[in-house]
Amino acid sequence: MNQFQYVRPTKQKAAIDALAKDTSAQFIAGGTNLVDLMKRGVMTPQKLVDINKLPLNKIEKENGGLRIGALASNKAVAEDKLVLEKQPLLAQALVAGASAQLRNMATVGGNMLQRTRCYYFYDTAMPCNKREPGSGCGALEGINRMHAIFGFSDKCIAVHPSDMSVALVALDATVLVSGPRGDRRIPFADFHRLPGDTPQKDTNLEQGELITAVDIPDGPFTKNVHYLKVRERASYAFALVSVAAALSLDNGTIKDARLAMGGVAHKPWRLNEAEKFLVGKPATEDTFRQAAAIAMRDAKAFKHNAYKLKLGPNSIIQALKNATAVG
Amino acid sequence: MADENPGTPPENADHDGNRRDFLKKSSLLTAVALTPGPVLHAASAEWDEKVAAAFEKVPLKLEVNGVKHKLSVEPRTTLLDLLREQLHLTGTKKGCDYGQCGACTVHVDGERVNSCLRLAVMEDGKKITTIEGLANGDKLHPMQEAFVKHDGFQCGYCTPGQIMSAVACIREGHAGSEGEIKEYMSGNICRCGAYSNIVAAIQDVKNGGQKV
Amino acid sequence: MPKQTAKEGAVGSPMHRVDARLKVTGAARYAAEHSVAGVKHGVLVTSTVARGRIKELDTAAAEKVPGVLAIITYRNSPKVPGYSDAKASNNPRVEGQEIKIFYDDQIHFYNQPVALAIAETLEQARYAASLVRVAYEQQPHQTDLAANLQQGTEPKKEKDYARGQAYAYRSAPVHIEQQYGTPIQVHNPLEMHAAIALWEGDKLTVYNKTQAPKLAQKDLMRMFQLPEENVLVHSPFVGGAFGGSSRIWPQETAAILGAKHVGHPVKLMLRREQEFNLVGYRPRSMQKMGLGATPDGALVGVTHEAFGNTSQYEQFAERIVHPTKSAYHTLNMNTVYKVVPLDVSTPCWTRGPGESSGSFALESAMDELAYALRMDPVALRLRNYAETDPENDKPWASKHLRECYERGAASFGWSKRNPTPRSTRQGDWLVGQGMSSGIYKSERQEATAKARLMADGTLLIQSATADTGPGTGTIMAQIAADASGVAPENIRFELGDSALPPAPIQAGSHTATSVGSVVHDVCVALREQLQDLARGQAGSAFSNTPPTDLVALNGELQLAQDSSKRVSYQDILKQQNLPMLEVTRQSKGGPELKEHSGKSFCANFVEVHVHALTGEVRVRRVVSVVDAGRVLNHTTARSQVLGAVVWGIGQALMEQAVIDHRYGNFINHDLAEYHVPVNADMPEIDVQFIDKPDPIISPTGAKGLGEIGLVGFAAAVANAVYHATGTRVRELPITPDKLV
Repeated sequence: MNQFQYVRPTKQKAAIDALAKDTSAQFIAGGTNLVDLMKRGVMTPQKLVDINKLPLNKIEKENGGLRIGALASNKAVAEDKLVLEKQPLLAQALVAGASAQLRNMATVGGNMLQRTRCYYFYDTAMPCNKREPGSGCGALEGINRMHAIFGFSDKCIAVHPSDMSVALVALDATVLVSGPRGDRRIPFADFHRLPGDTPQKDTNLEQGELITAVDIPDGPFTKNVHYLKVRERASYAFALVSVAAALSLDNGTIKDARLAMGGVAHKPWRLNEAEKFLVGKPATEDTFRQAAAIAMRDAKAFKHNAYKLKLGPNSIIQALKNATAVG
Repeated sequence: MADENPGTPPENADHDGNRRDFLKKSSLLTAVALTPGPVLHAASAEWDEKVAAAFEKVPLKLEVNGVKHKLSVEPRTTLLDLLREQLHLTGTKKGCDYGQCGACTVHVDGERVNSCLRLAVMEDGKKITTIEGLANGDKLHPMQEAFVKHDGFQCGYCTPGQIMSAVACIREGHAGSEGEIKEYMSGNICRCGAYSNIVAAIQDVKNGGQKV
Repeated sequence: MPKQTAKEGAVGSPMHRVDARLKVTGAARYAAEHSVAGVKHGVLVTSTVARGRIKELDTAAAEKVPGVLAIITYRNSPKVPGYSDAKASNNPRVEGQEIKIFYDDQIHFYNQPVALAIAETLEQARYAASLVRVAYEQQPHQTDLAANLQQGTEPKKEKDYARGQAYAYRSAPVHIEQQYGTPIQVHNPLEMHAAIALWEGDKLTVYNKTQAPKLAQKDLMRMFQLPEENVLVHSPFVGGAFGGSSRIWPQETAAILGAKHVGHPVKLMLRREQEFNLVGYRPRSMQKMGLGATPDGALVGVTHEAFGNTSQYEQFAERIVHPTKSAYHTLNMNTVYKVVPLDVSTPCWTRGPGESSGSFALESAMDELAYALRMDPVALRLRNYAETDPENDKPWASKHLRECYERGAASFGWSKRNPTPRSTRQGDWLVGQGMSSGIYKSERQEATAKARLMADGTLLIQSATADTGPGTGTIMAQIAADASGVAPENIRFELGDSALPPAPIQAGSHTATSVGSVVHDVCVALREQLQDLARGQAGSAFSNTPPTDLVALNGELQLAQDSSKRVSYQDILKQQNLPMLEVTRQSKGGPELKEHSGKSFCANFVEVHVHALTGEVRVRRVVSVVDAGRVLNHTTARSQVLGAVVWGIGQALMEQAVIDHRYGNFINHDLAEYHVPVNADMPEIDVQFIDKPDPIISPTGAKGLGEIGLVGFAAAVANAVYHATGTRVRELPITPDKLV
């Protein structure tokens, strides 16, 4: 690991200033992903701005919703009473991720910003357009069983690894950021990017912008929710495919639905068409099967991930079944 | 230099006492101070050892197993390497160095964390408990006793991490059932496969009602 | 000879580990944790091509890093004297020429060490290593076994085998012929390989993790052309090995060369990704199995063909076809095994080496044959039960496999199984049950031990064996207690040091038999000397007592008929004016070992749940019944089988090191992407032992335990998955993508 400067501001402005003009600087909060990447030389910031002293870890009611501070730990959010009551899907998604230790360390903001687990991104000896623009995509013609089936480009077929973000995109969350040019709100669905020609950019954050909180509007999804994570071992593994499903049911009829997938795209993948289809339909396996088929319309596989074309819809069906079965 | 204002963390580049002090002694680095970032990086290869060491270390106050330490560390030093290489507390193990095995689990202010992914400077002012700090003198902690009793290990390398994690698992209230224990202990890999015995040890301590 | 106190003895008791306290308090010191004054830190730089030569090497930036003492490459490295001698660079256990560290510009595999950065601190060394620039002239490489089968050759150490008619299965009334594959499996012990090397003049001390202090010492003597007394290998605790610490690897050599170059001790720990290339792995296998039987299930012919990979510079062969040769009675059998040299590092023994890959094919094929015959898989195995070893017609040293099947089936509830695939469902999960059996060699090698009775009555036993986790020191104390009459808490067993009396490698499930036997023998000899001293002592109460009337217990000799007549070991020494009594014995067993076939056996019964939609497989229930002779310690023995089950689950469901053949390296080279089982993967595991002493292999009655529980296990899982789903997965691991 290279030498770097370390600063620990106590004021938000100082933190933002520290990054504003310095493209080689990074915020560090939990550090669970950044330190890992620095050890491997994948990221080499010259300055770390430790934001843990900023007062950004509150979880509170705000304007008909929940406001979760960017520095709230994954554990704190997953076990928070308000979260469990209002947004159980988020709690389920958080608990499905990582390990108890990592959830103690990892923050909400950091979780959103974690980098892909693509093998080629992680290994500096391999080509990767995300890590080193122009070097090529190792996965495209390589081992791509973990890779995207939606929204990829010929520059990058990596997937976003966060579980939490899959729930947040389903729940219509908004990301609050503060930067050199002031504060702004970014709808969660617009927070992460598709790779296009610039896969090095994971998100639409601008230089020096700091995530301060996430807002989640209150909704009817307090009961019939399920986060399904399919992985190769029972815990502590990244998803092959995951599904966040939230239903609002009235006598077996779907009043409202939210559906998003993880492990399938460069960003948490919201399934808007399938959601629309579900509304007004009976909550039956047949309905779910049709919704799953709609969800997969644009999916395209590579050499090793064709199984996702089957696992994806099957996981959607199962997640919806599980969500329906609750209560 | 660090003694002048020990334990005060650098608030930002301009208020870094450690650095300010150093700047008095060296005009060479003035330019560096004005334009940090990449220039600093470029410069680092040119510095002689002494200059670099003085510049790059920051003060750190830590309490480890009840012992207070005033240290001066490089920001890139992880808590794990600090414990093992500088404080010679080798009970905390390095199993992967990437947060993927749990062997390095310690408690920071009572919470279990992977010490390999913590920069030591980030723990300024905090209380660290490692496996060496768990027993009460010669008297083993109930979890250590239970690991012995239930043969919760073979080679012993993951054991300190498992025990630190197991204690936290009960304290967190995640030892309510066998299934819950298995899930909340899944961040600690045991390649020898002592998992069932580890679960038995945790259940024993939990059911025994001893204070952990 | 005094009476044994077998019933109440220490052997067989579930005694806690003698080193338990050290391990639960963090006081046990592993390779990188020894306190060595003035130690410097080394970090390896490894190649990023699989074959070629180093074209440019730029260490200037790295050398300028503060705290750096040296960057060692082939250009400035001290010489390894043995490298210039073909004989000295041949490891006697593996055909060929071992990899030469910092020797020339040639690259033979990906991640081959090309430089070592040595600095005052670990952080400095790591950073310096990242600044070493190496350019390669790349040459085409071959890393794909499937694409290179035509390069396969019969290994020098594993010859083809035939009895009766080859390929007889083809003409049998019922036959199956299938291909099976197992991926590269990496030991991945939790402790990453590490070494500290220290030169004092021409004396070399190495702290490392080894399963074999004496073999490590011999390797180093051979490489550095040093006499035995100049090489010390110290390895008191080993954080998991599983075969991966069975020889000297690059990290030891690099630390030694580094220490020589900088004139300070050097410590070096591999990074997790380097564990995949630098310390061996289980080779990939591609196998073909043909089984033929009469309609009533009698095997007519068995053929097993197997390919495995090795490196270009060494020929590593394993016992992949061995289970097939001995498992079942059949008159016609042939086995063919070929190894294919690839541009990869040399594989190495990995828990259940060969047998566990080979038995996956054999035991899967037996299940397929059972279905073809519409016969119960247990019944098929019993129908072909081998009363003698089919490979050589020798009588078994002992075999209680029938009882394993019976007890396992009963405990598991096998009779209630509906054999039809996909017939049982619980909610969203398909339920399947499968079984297999396992066979693994049981042998005894030559070993030496020293017993020293101290004036205070405590007993020190020494032997240069290792404890990689099975609990060697614990069972040795138990064996020594029963044989010597000293209470186990007064016995200390020293291992893990090459200066101790020679012992074989801890591998191949032979530590309990080899070292256990000599510990038994040396303690019997010690006790006999004590008896002689006691009986010979002027005025002794025992002077006319025949030795058979003396009981050795609790550090005393007692008269069997009247335990009030007794003399303590301390008093015997005191009366003789002896500061201590020391005995050394070497033992290797007699001709009876050659006249019998020694094997351990097991029967595995497994229940899996397979998610009907997602294809996730969870092992829910395991019954493992093991015939490993007498159980020396029920606690540690059970733990070993638990560990084998965990390994079996890993092998069956998730472990595979994947090579991107374009680059010739593993791409999932860390513990987040190479999955080993976690706690949540654990099923309910019922471990049972037959616990009948083997009369041949060792005087303690033990056979071997470390591997047997793993042999065949993956097939039991695969068979259960077939029963659950109707899908037969013949290429491990059984990941969801293969079932969805």
